[in-house]
Amino acid sequence: MTVIRRISSDGKELVIAIDARFDFSLHQLFRDAYTSITTQDLSYVLDLSKTEYMDSSALGMILLLKDHVQLYAGQLTISKPSDTVRKILEIAQFHRLMTIE
Amino acid sequence: MSTNQKLALVVDDSKMQCKLLTVLLKEENYQVIIANDGASGVKMYIEHQPDLVLMDINMPIMDGFEATRRIKKLSGEGTLAPLIFITSMDSEQAFIDSVEAGGDSILVRPFTPRVFKAKIKSIQRISDLVDQVKGLQLEQQNDAELAEKMMSGVIEARNFALDKIGVIKKAATIFSGDIQLSALCPNGDLHILLGDFTGHGLRASIGAIPVTETFRAMTKKGFSLLEIIAQLNRQMFTLLPGDLFFAASFACISEHEKSAYIFNAGLPDGYLFDVQANIKKQFISTHPPLGILPKLLADAQVEVVQVTANDRIVFITDGIVEARNQAGELFGFSRFEKAAMDGVGNNMLVNTVLNRLDDFCQNCAQEDDISLVDVPCSGWQQIKLSNKVTIPEGFTEEDNYFATVKNLLPTWSYHLHLTGALLKKVNPIPLVMNQINDLEGAGEHWQSLYTILTELFINALDHGVLGLNSSLKNSAEGFSQYFKERANRLEMLANDDIQGSEDFVGITLKYFPLTKGGKMIINIKDSGQGFDILDVMKDNSIAMNDGLKLSGRGVELVNQLCDTLDYQEQGTLVIASYIWHD
Repeated sequence: MTVIRRISSDGKELVIAIDARFDFSLHQLFRDAYTSITTQDLSYVLDLSKTEYMDSSALGMILLLKDHVQLYAGQLTISKPSDTVRKILEIAQFHRLMTIE
Repeated sequence: MSTNQKLALVVDDSKMQCKLLTVLLKEENYQVIIANDGASGVKMYIEHQPDLVLMDINMPIMDGFEATRRIKKLSGEGTLAPLIFITSMDSEQAFIDSVEAGGDSILVRPFTPRVFKAKIKSIQRISDLVDQVKGLQLEQQNDAELAEKMMSGVIEARNFALDKIGVIKKAATIFSGDIQLSALCPNGDLHILLGDFTGHGLRASIGAIPVTETFRAMTKKGFSLLEIIAQLNRQMFTLLPGDLFFAASFACISEHEKSAYIFNAGLPDGYLFDVQANIKKQFISTHPPLGILPKLLADAQVEVVQVTANDRIVFITDGIVEARNQAGELFGFSRFEKAAMDGVGNNMLVNTVLNRLDDFCQNCAQEDDISLVDVPCSGWQQIKLSNKVTIPEGFTEEDNYFATVKNLLPTWSYHLHLTGALLKKVNPIPLVMNQINDLEGAGEHWQSLYTILTELFINALDHGVLGLNSSLKNSAEGFSQYFKERANRLEMLANDDIQGSEDFVGITLKYFPLTKGGKMIINIKDSGQGFDILDVMKDNSIAMNDGLKLSGRGVELVNQLCDTLDYQEQGTLVIASYIWHD
């Protein structure tokens, strides 16, 4: 279980990718991936294409990320969730709060 | 023994060694007791419960390993009186054996006093840490137990009609983040809530008390489901930290309207089952969980469905469908639905679901709280009727005479005139009921008054101001169309400021005290077109003979509760009088 962070070469996009299980055990790692980033107008992409399972504390962690993104006037996109994860996001109606593609 | 002086037990058959160790221990501020063989060492351990044990290995009667095994067995899990072997057997085997027997450390002779004291200090440090952890654990356990007691004793025991509502509640930890509430509205409708706070345990339950209080208080005061949800959302938004939220499903079941109002914010689909165990309807989540947004989304609305007496509404949290078996498979929706349908069929929904879940999971550890509510769509009317005051006992003609003639002037009157957009935004009934409670105190008889006011106000708004035709509600398709149209027209009221000022509903109350009770005259006037009073009366009596009609029940109910009920001014003014006895 890891959190991978990359910044695009033009420095305008930050990708955070989660593999396997996205749950409370990633709390610290997930926060560390973005808390130090204070660039304005950055695009944040949360890549969930490799995430197989997500629990409700992960939803809470995404909300904290969203607060951070808003603080620095950025954009947050959740990218390519698997069917299982998409179902969880749908139940929580997260598409009403952020972009899911 | 002074409280801060610790007690050490030295077990050694050499008197010389005992004396030496005693001196060293006393320099470290220990009180010392001595045993000269393993067996008496165990005995003294039981008797004195020392803080530290120094153990020789080779001794008569019982050797150090055996004594240690017995002592460690006695002290049980979690309690650590550290035990150090003191020996001259400097072999690998002795070291391994001493650890196997339960020793916490070993010190090989010869050693200098400084090494000995350092050893004692280090082992005492570990033991202090263990004590501290134990203390914290105990404290946490106590807190959780207290919270659990409060939860079941205070929150859940006060739920309404627990005997009729099927409940599954299996907490992953002692204290569940799931909450089930039921409360009776003043007009006999039933409010249900099944909610799931993020995570579980104590952290997940900080919102439970405020949610319960708000849900109960607002239900009791007659607020609508959506108003309660909006308030709970505001409350959870201020109370909960950013990563905590409250996913919940709500239902308002109205037996006399034969309808249910549903709202699902972030829980898995809810279900409506009919008596043949078919799924009549699924209620998908239409809103993010509560506590995330400062206000409900603008398009948030409750779903209205028609229900019959034998239907059941079932809500679940994700713990059921996400329960895993040994192979890591999820219980899933299809297994749940199968179990629920079989359960409805044999009238044991809760047990059937629980058994299937147990069979599936076997002895796997439960990861999340599991809960379900199973609510029948009827059976509440009985309770409601007992609260009604139809013809007060001991009511005489004389009372009626005095009520209308002698007390010509009311002791107080109250007038509320709502126009335009306010008609969409404000529910006046709780406001009015609050006034009455403030002036005249609380009382059972206000429940009937609440029903009268609600029905008459809704009629004035729907059929008067909004011009909706209640015959729409006669068919099942029209029923949902009616509520759609109602929402549209309310929206227009809210947006059209200029025209809005001409739309109104006025409510006037006049209160006349009687010798043993009171009388309330209610006038409700609306800005609508009115209706042909005679036609409606005729329609209603025909429809009642057919026994098929979905609308008009409101007026029948009001008629039963009121002393008199009159429509005037082409049906734009209704005058009701309600009398009760203490």
